[in-house]
Parts: sequence; structure tokens; C-alpha cells
Amino acid sequence: MPFVGEILRHRSVSIVGLAKNAGKTECLNYIIRRLPVDYFNVAVTSIGIDGETTDQVTGTAKPEITVREGMFFATSEKHFRQKRPLSELYDVSEEDTALGRTVTAKALQEGKVLLSGPSSASALKRWMSSLKVFGIDLILIDGALSRLSTASPAVSEAMVLSTGAAYSANIRELVSRTAFVVELIRLPVYAGPEPSLRVSSFSSLDAGVLKGHRVIEVEGALTDRLLQMAKNGLGDGELELVVGDFTKIFCSQELYRAFLRRGGLISVRMKSELIAVCVNPVAPNGIVLDSDILCSELSQKIGLPVYDIVKNEYEV
Amino acid sequence: MKFREIVESPCGIRYLFDELELQSGYARKVLLDREMMTDPVRIDEAYASLRGYYGMVLEDRRRVEDMRFRLQGLRDISGTLASLAEGSVLDEIEFFEIKHMAMLAETLPVGSDMENVIGILDPDGLKIGTFYLYDSYSPELRRLRSETDDNPDDAGLQDELANEEERIKKLLSDKLRPYAVSLQKTLRELADLDISLAQAVQMHVEGLVIPSSGKEAAITGMFHPGVRAVLKAKGREFQPVDFAFRSGVPATVIGANMGGKTVALKTLCMIQYLYQFGFALPVGSAVMTPFDEIRFCIGDEQSEKTGLSSFAAEMQRIDSAIAAVEQGGRVLVLVDEPARTTNPVEGTALVAALLERLADRHNLALIMTTHYTVEHAGECWRVSGLLPGTKGRKMDYRLVRTTSHEVPHEALNIARELGIDSRWIELADTIIKRKYE
Repeated sequence: MPFVGEILRHRSVSIVGLAKNAGKTECLNYIIRRLPVDYFNVAVTSIGIDGETTDQVTGTAKPEITVREGMFFATSEKHFRQKRPLSELYDVSEEDTALGRTVTAKALQEGKVLLSGPSSASALKRWMSSLKVFGIDLILIDGALSRLSTASPAVSEAMVLSTGAAYSANIRELVSRTAFVVELIRLPVYAGPEPSLRVSSFSSLDAGVLKGHRVIEVEGALTDRLLQMAKNGLGDGELELVVGDFTKIFCSQELYRAFLRRGGLISVRMKSELIAVCVNPVAPNGIVLDSDILCSELSQKIGLPVYDIVKNEYEV
Repeated sequence: MKFREIVESPCGIRYLFDELELQSGYARKVLLDREMMTDPVRIDEAYASLRGYYGMVLEDRRRVEDMRFRLQGLRDISGTLASLAEGSVLDEIEFFEIKHMAMLAETLPVGSDMENVIGILDPDGLKIGTFYLYDSYSPELRRLRSETDDNPDDAGLQDELANEEERIKKLLSDKLRPYAVSLQKTLRELADLDISLAQAVQMHVEGLVIPSSGKEAAITGMFHPGVRAVLKAKGREFQPVDFAFRSGVPATVIGANMGGKTVALKTLCMIQYLYQFGFALPVGSAVMTPFDEIRFCIGDEQSEKTGLSSFAAEMQRIDSAIAAVEQGGRVLVLVDEPARTTNPVEGTALVAALLERLADRHNLALIMTTHYTVEHAGECWRVSGLLPGTKGRKMDYRLVRTTSHEVPHEALNIARELGIDSRWIELADTIIKRKYE
């Protein structure tokens, strides 16, 4: 039963997909089926609306989340009223979204639910802290499509990454792009003296501003523009950029590599732990990659085990 | 006038509102929707209640904090209660909300009939604040649930179960309906409790005082909490100020630049609002009297930025205040340096004429700051001003009654203290001497 033991060591874990149909929901269901819910109080939610019965973009079937008896879940009023197993209501949030308030309930029987939890990372954090009174041991978060913000260490301690043919249909490119994300997740935590300069992507910058600084704190997003500026200023020595966490990095792999090649360094203030990488070799347009080759190449590249949970259906 | 309408008033009441630690968003909404009180009896009743909670803050802070912690669970369920009163059939989420609020009220000194409400929504006597349609509501429900468990794909059974659940929801709604009014009252009381406790804690933290009601206003040791906080951050202290005013006798406040005239006026305005919304006051002691309307005429930054229109905006504000006085209600009008943006000749005339226009109005209490020398029959207050012989910006901000309406000439002294270009200031001094001496 790969990596489920690892999950139990954390209080909050996000499951994040690099693309729609990258297998995130299967991954979450896989984890839920294997959790020892008799001993652990588990709560599950998603960020925003990501629990539709069919994928709105491609029309392919999108499995719902199956909650087990005794598990807590949070979803919107609208989806709670639509479909759920018999469940006991524990809380109704104050915050209102397009789908209504967030309802927290405990499933009294196993059944399928549509998850549409708090709509922003900050609302999600508030929901997570409101759970304390219910004695929850583990919170699982279904991260929304291409919103890595749920995986921010400011929200959840650890993460499971799912990637697949939907992200790229070419094994080499898929491996390279996924490995890049993994590399960012694993950036070291900064441990030097206080940076002498703070900049943000909104600052009006020219190369002169950065001159003479060896360590620069980046507030908010690290964009291509900012990184390009830093790269240009590299000529006369070392430069380290300190970013909040990996979810704040929005720059191209090419530029990132060029910056490192010229001696630049990037570190983070907070780091989340990457527990596992899952792959879905099937893309919604019908392309099927060779699961074994994909797993082994990606695993080799990132030095972490990679799982195709659908094909291998590891024992429960 | 609702609290919502004055919260952004340039008097700066926003500071105390922001610092007020309400536990629930609903209490915040209720407070913003509160009407200003104009009856001194009602104001005194509100203060009597606040005094009780203040005593609790001093004597049993743990109990207060425990109550406040519970109040974090207060939600706005007025919509649900309105549906209940109207005869709708409620659903599980709504039953949960009602049960949750009833159980909250049970732990606090508010509400009535909550025991009966809880009895309906807690058939097993579990005394926990969660809810679902319990099996014990009907043997039929229990039977159908157990059968659908065994045959999850039987659509007929699913329908039967849904019908039975619907029947129970209707039954529960009918049972709860007679309590709709007391539930609404309890919801309101919970919000009021949240507000009162927050006010009592603020009274303790900010050192506020409950005033008494009387015929004339007499205030000692007033301070502006927002300005005091800013000064404190700079390591400076706010010098408390005394003041008194009454209807029928206009009062002008004159004095040096930077002498705190505008801050004093803002403080007076804020104190009046606080009094009429039942908050404790930032004063040493105070006798207050309520007004039907409070008009604060001050140039705001917005209109100052638009240049020419600042004069127009100011004139319109004063015009509307005059109209309010003509209506006959009790009106407090506070005017900060009227006509200051125009030339001193017309400015002085406008100020003198305003005082004459509003003379002998027994329904009006008028307080006005000005830099112009105007004679009038009312009272004149003067900022004590620069302390003689002291160096390094030592201003005495106290207000003292004076018989001379002649505005003090201290601007040059203050400019010297500020270290402004000395040749400029001395030239100004020479010009004054040439003209007047």
C-alpha cells in the first residue's frame, strides 16, 4: 500500500493535479479507500468548485469522491442538498460563495459526494482551523485544477502530485515538465542573514536597483520579468532570490535554468513535503502512454517513487 | 440615523468601531443597523446595561471571555427564521442552524423557550450541537433506512425513504413554528450580548467612561482615541481637554495653528455619536444631552483635492445644517473653520453672518472653530497655545474660556518653532509691525 502510511504522518495533505484529468480525483479516492478511518478522524474538502459530475471542458466522466462512514467532509450548501450519503451536520460557515455557505458534515454511511469547499486559500485555512474542535487528525484537500495555491505550505503540510498524459502527451516532455515542478517544490529553505532588499513583481525595477545586493527577498510572485532582471544583474557576482514558497514561482523553465547556469540561486521561506507522485497515462483525447516507461523515467529523473494507481490497483 | 451612516464620519469614530472586538459577523451587522437614540431615558437604560457588563469584565473576566468564545458560534439565521415564520418546510441545514443557535443561547444568559426547541431537534437527548434526521423520529424512517442499506439500488425504496424524510421535515417545521418569534428575539439578544460584551471590554481597554444625561453638555478630560493611538506610537501623549456647550449659546473655538482645534471638534462630534449609540466615552467625566440631529461640517480630503469645489462642498454642508435647524428639531452643528479657503475679507463676513443667522435658536447648539476675529454674543474658547518661554514645540492644547474674541497671533511663533526659513518668517514679522504698530 504505497505512500498512505506517509500521509498519516501529516495533519494536512493536498492532492494537486498538474492538469485536468491528470488523475487527481482517482488519487484522492485511492487514498481515502486505504485510510484507517476507524482510528483516524479524517476530513476531506476541495478548494472551490471542482467536483462536477462531468468534466465541463472535455465532457469526460469525472468520478465523485467516495467518503467513508465516519469521515468528515465539507462542501457547498448547493452540493450538500444535491447529493450525499446520510450525514450529520456539524457546522455551516459564515462565508457565502456562489454555491452557498460551506457545510461541514460527518458521513453516517459510505457514499458519493460532490466536493466544493471553501473558495479561496484563506477561506480554506479558516475552515481548517475551525475543524480543531471536532478532533480531526488528518485533512485531505482536493486542490483545484492548476491552482497550486492549495499546496502552499502556508495551507497544507504535505502534498501528493498527480500528473499524466493530459499534461503532456510526449513522455519526454511530460517527465521534464513534471520534474521541473518537483524541483521547485524541493527548493531549499533560506537560512542566511536577512536579505538586504525586498522587491515585488509590481516594483518598477531596473538593473541598477538590484546592484550590490547578494540576497533579495521576493514578495509575492516571482515572474519572468523579475527573474530576467535578476539574471541581467548577475554579471558581477552571486545573487540569491528568496521566495515565499514554490507556489509563488511563475517563470518558465528555460529562464529558470539560465538563471541557475549563470550562478543564481533560488530558495524559499517555507517548504512543503512532497509525499508521492501519481501518474495517469490516459489523456482525455484517447492518447495512452506506456505506464511502466512513464513511471520508471519520471522516477529516475526525480528520485522518488512514482505510482500509476489505476493500472496497478495496489492492495487495500 | 443608523450607525452604518456615521461609521465613516470624518470625526474618526471608525477607530473605536475597528477596535471593537465583536465575536460574530452578525453582531457587526446588527450594530451597523442600529438607530441613533434621541431619548435620554433609553440612552440611560443602555448605559445601565453596559455598566453591568463592565462590572463583569472587572470582576469575572474569565466568565466574560468564556461567553465571548461561545458567541463566535453565532450565525445570522434571520433568513431561516423568516422562512419558518412564513410557514415553509425547513431542510436539514436550517434545522441544524436553529438547533445550533438554541444550544448556544442555552449556555448564555439570553433566550426563552430554547429548551422546547432543543427538545424537538434532539430527540435522543444527546445534547450535542449536530443534526440529522434521526432514526428515532419514526420507526418507518428507521425501517426504510435499514432496507435501503441492504438494497441500495432499489429505486422504489429510495422514493419511499425520500417521502418519509419529507414528512418528518414538515412535522418538525410545524412543531417549531410556534417558537419562531421567540427564536427571532433570542437571535437578536445574542447579537446584543456580543455587542455589549465587546463594548464593556473596550471600555476597560481604552479607559472609557459612562456619562450621565443632563440639560447641558459638560465634558472634562476628553481625548480622541484614534489620535491618541497615533501619538502613542510616536512616544507622545494626548493632552486631555475640557469643554462645555449648550443649546441657544453658540460657541467659537479660536487659537493657534496646530493647537488641536480640529481634533477637539472631531472629538466632540465623536463623543456625541458615541453617547447616542450607547457607547462609553473617551472622557474623564461627562454630562451629555441628546440631539435629534448631529451635523458635522468639515472639509474632507476628497473635496480639498478637487480644489475649487471644496468651497462649494463646504457651503452646501452648512446650508443643509441651516435647513435642519429651521426644521425645529434639536440640532448639534459642529463647523470646522468655515470659509477658510476663501479670502479673509469675505471669509470673516461669512463667519460673522453665519453666527448672526443662527443666533437665538434655542434648538441649536453650535460649535465652530475659526481663524477669523468675529464678535458674537455666545461663548468663545481659546487654545491655551504655546507655553511661554518653552522651547522645542511645547503646545498647551487645553481650551479656556475667554472674553476677547480677538484671535491670537501665534502663527509666526509656531513657524519659528518648526524651523521654517527664518528670513521669510522675520520678513512677515516686519510687515505685521509696519501695518499694525
